[in-house]
Amino acid sequence: MDNTVDISVDFAGLKLANPVFTASGTCGYADELSDFMDINQLGGFITKSITVKPRKGNPTPRIVETDSGMLNAIGWANVGLDKFIEEKLPVIEKLTIPVFVNIAGETIREYVAVVERLATERTIAGFELNISCPNVEKGGISFGTDPELVKEVTSAVKKAAGEKILIVKLAPAVTDISAIARAAVEAGADALSLINTFTAMVIDIETRRPVLANKTGGLSGPAIKPIAVYLVNKIYNEVAKERGIPILGIGGIRNASDAIEFIIAGALAVAVGTANFIEPGCAVKIIEGIKKYCISHNIINIKDLVGSLGTN
Amino acid sequence: MPEKKTSSDKGSFCATVRANRQIGQPAPAFSDASRGGGRFYRLNLEFTGDGAKAFAKFQPGQFAEFDLSGTALPTTEKVPEDLVDVCQRNILLRRPFSFADVNAKKDKILAEVLYCVVGPASLRMTTLASGDSVSVIGPLGNGFRVPEGKKSALLIAGGMGAPPLLHLAKVLTADYSDIEAIAFAGTKTAKDLPFEKRLDEISQQLGFSLPEFAKYGVKSQVATEDGSAGFEGMVTDCFKRWLDKSNPAREQSIIYACGPEQMLARIAEIAKEKQIDCQISMERRMACGFGICQSCAVPCRVNGTNETVYKLCCEDGPVFDSKEVVFSL
Repeated sequence: MDNTVDISVDFAGLKLANPVFTASGTCGYADELSDFMDINQLGGFITKSITVKPRKGNPTPRIVETDSGMLNAIGWANVGLDKFIEEKLPVIEKLTIPVFVNIAGETIREYVAVVERLATERTIAGFELNISCPNVEKGGISFGTDPELVKEVTSAVKKAAGEKILIVKLAPAVTDISAIARAAVEAGADALSLINTFTAMVIDIETRRPVLANKTGGLSGPAIKPIAVYLVNKIYNEVAKERGIPILGIGGIRNASDAIEFIIAGALAVAVGTANFIEPGCAVKIIEGIKKYCISHNIINIKDLVGSLGTN
Repeated sequence: MPEKKTSSDKGSFCATVRANRQIGQPAPAFSDASRGGGRFYRLNLEFTGDGAKAFAKFQPGQFAEFDLSGTALPTTEKVPEDLVDVCQRNILLRRPFSFADVNAKKDKILAEVLYCVVGPASLRMTTLASGDSVSVIGPLGNGFRVPEGKKSALLIAGGMGAPPLLHLAKVLTADYSDIEAIAFAGTKTAKDLPFEKRLDEISQQLGFSLPEFAKYGVKSQVATEDGSAGFEGMVTDCFKRWLDKSNPAREQSIIYACGPEQMLARIAEIAKEKQIDCQISMERRMACGFGICQSCAVPCRVNGTNETVYKLCCEDGPVFDSKEVVFSL
C-alpha cells in the first residue's frame, strides 16, 4: 500500500524519505530518543542549539506549564562546539538520515565560528540558524527582529557554510515577518523554518514573582499552533512560493492532522517539538498518519498537498 | 541494587488501573480537606507484556512519567476550592511519580503510587477507575544505591517524600538481611502525613507506629511541626536528637532522604557533621523526564572543588550523593 503514495520531498535539493523532522531542543544531540523510536525513520533531524563555548544554561525553574503549552528558558545549555565534535558527531555519523545542526550565538562571530568548524563535516547535511538570540553587540536586541541584522548574520553564516544547506529559523513576534523572511532568503537562506517560540511570562500570584528564574521563557506547544499555521501560510504566499524556498513548519504539532494542516498551509516539511516530551515516539506515528491521509484522500504525491489551501 | 542501570530499560507503556482510593482521613480528626492535608490517594497499577519486563527492574527512588492529559476532572462539587481556578486550564506535560511498592505476580508487575492532590494533574488522577488504562514512561532516573558494608539504613521522609522510602524499606528488608532500617517521617501537621493510621494517637518514640513501615519490620517515628502527632518539631531535629543519642557506627550507616529541598539541605549538613554517607532524592520541574528538555538542572560540585556544574535531576538523579548537591534555598 505504501508504494501507491509518495511522501518523499525534495528539501532544498536534499531528498528526504518523508517530511517529518524532530525540532531543535526537543530531541537531544542525536540518538537520545532511540529508546522510544527508530530515529532513522524520520525525514530529518535537528540537534539542540550548539554554541562555541559550553553553556551551563539558566538557573531553575527553567520551565512552566501553561494552558496547552509550556514556557522554557533553558539558556542554550549545551556541551559546546569542541565536545559536540568529539562526543556527539560520532553518534550522528551512525544515523542514516540528514542531520542539521542548530547554531546559536550572541555575536555574528560566534555563529560563524561554529559553522566554519562544522562545514567540512561530511556527516552533517546543513545548519539551522537560530536568530532568536540576543545580540550582545547591539544592546541585546534579538538578531531576528531586524531585517538588516538578519541579512548580516545570514550572509556571514551562508559564506561559512559552503555547500551545506542553511535553514533560517524565524522568530514569530516581529512587526513584519515577511520582511524578515525576505531578508534571510536574499542573504542566502536555502530554507526557512517557522516558528520559534513566543517570549512569554507566568506569574506566581502568591509570591508576585515570575515563575521562571529567567523571568520570561519561550511559549511552545499546541497553544501556538494556529498562529504558526497562519504565519507559515503568510510566508508561503508572500515569500517562499515564488522563490521556490521550502518551509519547515513548526509549532504545536503532536499528530498527523496537525502536520497535514501545516503542509496544506504551505510547509514542505514539518518538525515535531514539544510533543516529543510527552509522546517521544509520536514523530514516527505522524509519518504513518500522513501516509494514511494521502491514501484516503487520493493524493499520490505529497507535493500535491503542499500549499493546497483553498479559498472559502 | 546495581550501581547503574542501562539506559535501554525505559520505554512508553500502557498500565491498567486496578484500584484508586482515598487514604488516611479517619474522621473526624482530619475532616478538613480544604488545603493540603487529607487529600492522599493510593493508585494500584498493573503492567503486562513489555511493560512488565521493563518495570520488573524498577528500583526504589526511580520514577515514572504519567500522561494524565486525557484523564477527566472530577465533577465540580468534588474540586477543592483552592484548585477551582487552576483546574480550568488544560494540562499538557506528563507528571513524574515515584512508586511506593512494586510486586511481581506471575508475569505481571503491580505498582503502587501514593499521591497527594495538589494541582490539575493529580486532581485528574483521582478519577482513574479500575480497568482504565494510563500511559506511563519509565523506569526513569537512578534509584537509591546500597554500598557494601552497611548495617544501618536511616530513612528520612518529609511530607510526600515517603513513597520511595517505603519502597526502599521493603527492598532493604527483603534483599539485605544484614541491614536494619529505621524511618523518620515528618510534616507541618498530622493531617499532612500520607499514612492511614490515626496519627494523633501515635507515640513520641521510635516504634512500630506506622503500619506502612511496620509491615516490613521497620520502626518509625513521626514528627510534626505543630506537635499534632509524635515529636513536636522538624523531622530533621527529631532525627538529629535520635542520632546524638544512639550514635550509630558511622561507616556502617547510611542516610536515605526524600522531601523538600530545605529539609534535604539540613539532612546533608547533619550527614557531613556526623560523617555518615547520605543519598537524597531531589525534585525539579521537568517537561520530559528522560534527559531531553534540560529543565531539571541541579547544581552540583565537581569533586569537592568550588566549581559547579548542572546535572539533570531526571537522568543523573533524582537520587544524588548529598555531598555533591549545591542547595538553592
